[in-house]
Amino acid sequence: MSTVPPPARFRAPVMPRAGAANRLVLVIAGMMAFLAVLTLTASLAADRLGSAWAQDLTGAATVELTGTPAEIAERLPFVLDILETTQGIAAARPLNAEEQAALLAPWLGADADLETLPVPQLVDVTLTGPGPDRAALQQRLDLSVSGAVYDDHAAWRAPLARAVSTLMAISVGATVLIAACAILMVAFAAQATLAANQDIVRTVRLIGAEDAFIAAAFVNRLALHAGLGGLAGAVAATGCLSLLPDLADPVALPGAEVGAGALDPIARAAAFATAVPLVLALVAWITARLTVMATLRRMP
Amino acid sequence: MPDTVIALDTVSFGYDGRETLSGISVEIEAGSFHFLTGPSGAGKTTLMKMLYLEHLPLRGSLRLFGEDPTDLPSAGIARIRRRIGVIFQDFRLLDHLDVIQNIALPLHAAAKPAEEHARDIDDLVRWVGLEHRVNALPPQLSAGEKQRAAIARAIINAPDLILADEPTGNIDPEMGARIMRLLIELNRLGKTVILATHDLTLIRTTKTSVEARILRIADGHLAQGASVL
Repeated sequence: MSTVPPPARFRAPVMPRAGAANRLVLVIAGMMAFLAVLTLTASLAADRLGSAWAQDLTGAATVELTGTPAEIAERLPFVLDILETTQGIAAARPLNAEEQAALLAPWLGADADLETLPVPQLVDVTLTGPGPDRAALQQRLDLSVSGAVYDDHAAWRAPLARAVSTLMAISVGATVLIAACAILMVAFAAQATLAANQDIVRTVRLIGAEDAFIAAAFVNRLALHAGLGGLAGAVAATGCLSLLPDLADPVALPGAEVGAGALDPIARAAAFATAVPLVLALVAWITARLTVMATLRRMP
Repeated sequence: MPDTVIALDTVSFGYDGRETLSGISVEIEAGSFHFLTGPSGAGKTTLMKMLYLEHLPLRGSLRLFGEDPTDLPSAGIARIRRRIGVIFQDFRLLDHLDVIQNIALPLHAAAKPAEEHARDIDDLVRWVGLEHRVNALPPQLSAGEKQRAAIARAIINAPDLILADEPTGNIDPEMGARIMRLLIELNRLGKTVILATHDLTLIRTTKTSVEARILRIADGHLAQGASVL
């Protein structure tokens, strides 16, 4: 009768159970993933919001007509006539009282009596192509009526674009730093694990193992720990983002309806929570393999 | 004419500027049995390390199985090492693996599926008398059991050359005699055996059972022939 255990028992890990370096990778990968998911979600949300706002502002303009109610009622037909006969303008429509009240509601409240306030009349202008010559149109308005100001939102778009691009650059920089930290951490952990198991490495080599066989024993475990840590960190980041107010809710965030649907941070974070641990595991695998193979090549 | 397994030509080696082996020249033929002897510190282990390629010569030429290892990449050196079964003086069993896993390790290292060699492992475990200790970890074994596990690990891959460094040095005489019988049996199966020992009594006793050549090393130099005893 055979005294030997079942064949599956023959195959055991060449390296001992996870040491301190592997546990370090688990914890730090979790932190990296947490930061990466937050950074990526924030940068994507900023990019989408900026694009949505820019798109919303690009195809439209506004004419603001000030004066007493009687003056506004008298001047409005002239303004509409000028706008409708200007090249680059598809349509011009004065906002009614309810629409103006809705615009001011986040600042004045839904029950504000606008009749008692010197609120200007807004005219919503729909543009075609690049829109009209801004200076020429303003000149025509000035010659015909007083108190009419044409606003093509250029003053809003430029700083918004600058803010979004700056935010994106910061996010890319932060993501690169996180990736660099992950690579350094794994390289350090791989070297520490090799050093801690030097005797085993030497013995396994002397019985005929190739460097790739030895590297696999370290690399797969480090990548697994990086992936598991990354998964925990990504899930934690998604949980934190779920505590944020609904950024598409105009009551929670005034003006948010402009980019409604573009933010959705939980959906974005969930997507990153899936990708980040996989990327971390892959980065860890490549880094650890390069480090271990280079170290083994230097060993006698 | 038998193949030459090992050929050393005026090989020298040293540490920290001090030469520990000097002008070593010897040829070892396939299927032969050699004792490598000499006083402690004479350079036996250093020479053995050179034969299993833990060290490479500083000067001179070393050829194993007709190949010069200094010309080979690490994969080539690993390929040569898989043709050598080494029984280390300090056993070098992996403490986190049990007896059966330690014995099967060279099969994994050679990318051979251990599952297909279950019968070989079973036979080998019985041959070295460890069938009741297969689940034990090395720290739970006696010195003799460790040595037998080390022998089983050294030959599981059916190597052409067996290098045994003081295989009886840490065990009692009865177990030492048993291990010598195992090595002689391996030699009769066609394996080339080189056994390093400082125990001249062991050599005299064993020479009655096997046709052995003696290599004596002293002060880093090698002499050959029975007269060195």
